[in-house]
Amino acid sequence: MEQLVGPLQKGLSKSASLLWLLTRVIIPVSCLVTLMEYYGVMEVIARLFSPLMALAGLPGEAAVALTLGFLVNYYAAVGAIVGISLSVAELTTLAVMLGISHELPVETVICSHTGLKIPFTVALRISTALVVGMVFNLFIITAGGLC
Amino acid sequence: MNVKDLAQELLYEGVWGGIQGIFQISLILIPVLILIEFARYFRVIEKISARMKPLMNLLTLPPEAAFPLAAGLGFGIVLGAALIIDYAREGILAKRDFMLVGIFLSINHSMVEDTLVFAAVGANPLITMGARFVVAMLVTRLAAYIIDRYTQRSSVLPSSASKHRIG
Repeated sequence: MEQLVGPLQKGLSKSASLLWLLTRVIIPVSCLVTLMEYYGVMEVIARLFSPLMALAGLPGEAAVALTLGFLVNYYAAVGAIVGISLSVAELTTLAVMLGISHELPVETVICSHTGLKIPFTVALRISTALVVGMVFNLFIITAGGLC
Repeated sequence: MNVKDLAQELLYEGVWGGIQGIFQISLILIPVLILIEFARYFRVIEKISARMKPLMNLLTLPPEAAFPLAAGLGFGIVLGAALIIDYAREGILAKRDFMLVGIFLSINHSMVEDTLVFAAVGANPLITMGARFVVAMLVTRLAAYIIDRYTQRSSVLPSSASKHRIG
């Protein structure tokens, strides 16, 4: 009996302390994102990103999807993608970029509890995503030229 | 700017949306954390860690780091981070190692869900999954190189792997 109760109790108490940590992170962040949407901050950030999109061979509109993915989550980005027509290659590039860097406010704060500083993780993920986008674009241009 | 609208939006989207998100996470988190405690109790973790040895060698990480890594890859960064925090508290992993796991997982996590979401819209799942994995590995190796170079004194000591054993 003891061998069933022990792990169960330990698992439950760990879940409780972790869910409490998540509540403290997610609710303020979610309110912040709502405020940013309300005041149109998303559009401003998307406008900043849109010139960078060309480097990854993506149309400027893709910046909106990328911004939503960075700040809200993966699903928000998918919602924004549906409105833009993209080729499979462009979709794959965008998917890799968003896969590397998404839901930054929540994920980086959670990660910061493991000892990684928030600005470091944000910078690492966004820059990696952009570099990978550019490398993909180079590959696609080269492959396209060969065909 | 309508104050009432904003307050409504904040309460509904911000607070209620957040609560829904936490509830969804708890549906996975609670069963998985309980399962993990059982896995620890019955020493299943050592077997999983042994299987992941090639990957751990690639990342220059000790076998103890395999489990948080696997949890993060399968179930997402929240769970991976939870285990890293837990391992750090219990002193199972050294700082260098859990930082590297954190870096790897921040770039590559919940491989199944994330890949499927985009495959559903039309992206190539093999490329998305493979590229993310390779990029995470390269970045982790680079970070390991930098950390080890600038903290040479601690790298002379035996790595955390030989000092701590699970269980």
